[in-house]
Amino acid sequence: MTFLNAALIAGMAAVAIPIIIHLFHRSKFKIVPWGAMHLLEAVLRKNTKRLKLEQLILLLIRCSIPVALALCMARPVLTGLSPLLENKKISTVIILDNSYSMEAGGPANSNFQKAREAAREIVDNLVPGSDVAIVQMAGGASTLLDDPTFDLDRVRGELGRIRSGYGASSVPEAFKVARAVQPRFNHLNREIVVLTDFQKVTWSESAGLPASERSRIAGQLAEGKTPPRLTFFHVGTEVTDNVSVEKIELNRQILGVGQQLRVRASLQNHGEGQYQDMRVVFRVDGKERSVSQASLGPREKGQVLFTHTFDTSGSHVIEVVAEADALIADNALMASIPVWDRLPVLLVSGDLNPEPLMGETDFVEIALHPYGVGKVELADLVTTRTVDAREMDAKMLAESRVALLANVSQLNEAQLKALEGFVREGGGLLVFPGNRINSAWYNTAFLAGGKGLLPLPVASLSGSTNSGTRASIVSQHYEHPALDMFNDPRNGNLAEADIRLWYKMREETGKPGESGITVLARLDTGDPFLVEKKFGEGRVIECAVPCDAEWTNLPARPFYLPLMQQLVTYLASKVYPPRNVDVGKPLVAFLPASDAGKKAILTDPEGKAREVAIQVKGTRALAEFDETRRPGLYVLDAPNNNRIHFVVNVDREESDLSQLPETDIQNVSKAMGASLVKTFAEYRALDQQRRFGQEIWQALLVAVIGLIFVEMILEQVFVRRKS
Amino acid sequence: MAQLSEFLTPADLHKISNLQILARLVVEGFCTGLHRSPHKGFSVEFKQHRQYVPGDEIRHLDWRIFGKTDRFYIREYEEETNLRATMLLDASGSMNYGNPQGRSKLVYAQRLAACLAYLMLGQQDSVGLVTFDTKVRRYIPPRAQTSHLKVLVNELEATKSGGETELADVFHDLVPRLHRRGLVIILSDCFGDVTKLLTALAHMRHARHEIVIFQIWDRTELEFDFRQWTRFDCLEVDGKKYLVDPNHLRAAYLENLEKFRAELKQGCHRHRIDLVPMITDQPYAEALAQYLTLRMRR
Repeated sequence: MTFLNAALIAGMAAVAIPIIIHLFHRSKFKIVPWGAMHLLEAVLRKNTKRLKLEQLILLLIRCSIPVALALCMARPVLTGLSPLLENKKISTVIILDNSYSMEAGGPANSNFQKAREAAREIVDNLVPGSDVAIVQMAGGASTLLDDPTFDLDRVRGELGRIRSGYGASSVPEAFKVARAVQPRFNHLNREIVVLTDFQKVTWSESAGLPASERSRIAGQLAEGKTPPRLTFFHVGTEVTDNVSVEKIELNRQILGVGQQLRVRASLQNHGEGQYQDMRVVFRVDGKERSVSQASLGPREKGQVLFTHTFDTSGSHVIEVVAEADALIADNALMASIPVWDRLPVLLVSGDLNPEPLMGETDFVEIALHPYGVGKVELADLVTTRTVDAREMDAKMLAESRVALLANVSQLNEAQLKALEGFVREGGGLLVFPGNRINSAWYNTAFLAGGKGLLPLPVASLSGSTNSGTRASIVSQHYEHPALDMFNDPRNGNLAEADIRLWYKMREETGKPGESGITVLARLDTGDPFLVEKKFGEGRVIECAVPCDAEWTNLPARPFYLPLMQQLVTYLASKVYPPRNVDVGKPLVAFLPASDAGKKAILTDPEGKAREVAIQVKGTRALAEFDETRRPGLYVLDAPNNNRIHFVVNVDREESDLSQLPETDIQNVSKAMGASLVKTFAEYRALDQQRRFGQEIWQALLVAVIGLIFVEMILEQVFVRRKS
Repeated sequence: MAQLSEFLTPADLHKISNLQILARLVVEGFCTGLHRSPHKGFSVEFKQHRQYVPGDEIRHLDWRIFGKTDRFYIREYEEETNLRATMLLDASGSMNYGNPQGRSKLVYAQRLAACLAYLMLGQQDSVGLVTFDTKVRRYIPPRAQTSHLKVLVNELEATKSGGETELADVFHDLVPRLHRRGLVIILSDCFGDVTKLLTALAHMRHARHEIVIFQIWDRTELEFDFRQWTRFDCLEVDGKKYLVDPNHLRAAYLENLEKFRAELKQGCHRHRIDLVPMITDQPYAEALAQYLTLRMRR
């Protein structure tokens, strides 16, 4: 306990006043010669003790009035155990929720604006010499400044620059960052203020913050010699109306010029509002191409379909925009679409045959560019080049994106090396066996003890061309993206194919996935049908059967064409790093080797441009950028007018704007040992109380008034009771 | 010698004379009744000789005895008057109480006694006076002569308050001395043990005396409106004093007072004694009117 006006404690001497008055009254008495003494004496005999007690009580009350008044005027402060050593300068971490849900309420008066304003007020409230760190909660928690700073003006400036619109917030991550900052602070007095909208997705027990996590964070904060005080600052009001574009589905993994792209956009109404004939706009490269309308009832989902055909190759951006509510961040969803003019595939045949459909790769060739073969005026994406196995070399490979080995007996050392280099740098390889393969070579040089290109060794030939034993592909739900389209029966049923002869592949007895080998599909005998192996940056898919019609009737099945197209485009798409990535993931672009050592310019969603060095990696050049916390469109301008678009997407879970109910917010605060405030005034009162302790003069003033009342009442009671 | 006007202010006297007209009508009727009583006659029957005291009428001196013994004796007769009234004036310490501005209860009682004496003597009644505190101080037997008033007034004036009262003892002592039945007018505050007092009064009633008590109160005794710390010094016993805050005692005191008055009132009613409470700020005339009203009721 301390006193702000300690001098006034001397006023407690006023305790003497009632005593003096009492004594004065007693000494200044009136003398009355009294006759009716027999009446008075009887009363005195009966009441003396009680009178004395009553007078003592009154005297005590009267004495305590000046004491309480003096204490009240001395402004006592209950400081508890808080150290007075350094109670003015304070080390503060401000955790600011900058997820896009904070933009609710409109751009001018969003919850984020309020949070930022509150943060600024908190900074203004600090005593000079306090140090501050600011942690952004969303899009992968991070500090705004590298180190805590004493320069409060700088902090204010940074607060002005901080933006919202990031993806989901993570409470555990934010606290991890806040804890990491602690050792770099300079004052013993520490505080963490979390400014947030308490969105359910982030804070509820079932979603973002389970009970165990709450207690773990509270426990970690309590560790150490100077545990920080925790304050939750609930900013903003709950807005429920929100429509979001949840996802965009494309019908093709790889798109060529002139090919039709179907874009299916899923919309969701997260609120209770009714959206009738909402305009949904489809934009390509920023230009409006098509408009559709959608009606969404409360909490309803809907889909909108757009189609588009690109007439130029290169990187394009499509965007679906729902013209709905004020929370703009999730009203639009973009995707970067690389449009290729062609996809060169090198078909390496072990059995070239000039007769139609007798060559090993003839069926594949037709399947990969049917329009070209059929002389139809439609665009084929894939272009093929068929070569004899003996002719294949590194140059041919460099001109292709996917290579296909069909019944190739074996490769020479140089060819193998070239092929390995091709796949390692991101090329795709499809291996089909056949009657000509040299299984010994396959299982040694090609397999290289599991370190080579071949995913699994070819053990033995199963089945027979004559007997009735037939195998078929197991019809199942295919997890792999290359086979994903066959989950829809309209695209064909893989189980329809009869497989008479096939190579058994010897699987390792390790845990699945450990060896980096994935089985895409199996035969009903249990043998793998398609297996995939990641090799360097590229991938290899090995099939148990050839790609011609000798051992199977695959080429005669309707699904043969899409299957081949899917496998090739899958492998080709893996050649390039993804253009549509989640927040926090790096953006990588492969560039021509000639660009190595030059600079590319990357423009982020906020329009800030920066240089990115183009590095050499293998035979390619590569530009990499990893500060992708902010969702939106990133544009990489590489030399030679080579523009590449990247879209960084956030999980749409932030779109459900509902906040925790008040009781749950209180529970969270309680569980984490935090104080809860809603306004800056509340925060300041709390801060004053923490810093200086609780002033209790109001309570004392009430006590004084109370005592005066009690005194008056008792006086009346004592006098009146006898009447 | 004290003048009568000292006791009776002109206003008082005016009221009394007015009352006298009314009173005389009432008293005369009452007296008429008495005149026809067996005690009829006027100083006819010799009763005894008694030593002369100043104020006795000289015409009652027995000159024969004077001739024989050279001493003054008075001849006393039975039924000298139609009413023998004896006023008992309490001159105890407690009667000396009075508020600083006003008169003490004793002074009030003295003046009241004078008024009564004047009234009664004016009606040809004989009036006697007994002053007492712890014991009987002075006894003046009832006489009916107009000149007797002066004797009474002188005695009243000379009366000073004395020590502690014990009314009961005094009254017991007095009973044998009031030979003939008559009216006893007690002027007192009646402080003391109520039970004992009532016993004594009963004793007096047993001697067939009519009793009227003028209980003299000071208003402060009835209201106890002292505000500041007060030391109450006992008027009857020296050195007995209590320093108290009267505010806290008032209620209990008034309760006790009420109890005392109620007991006394009930006791008097039981013994058919007239109790007339008088407050010292009340005009004497009211007391007389009260008295006459009571007499008329009989």
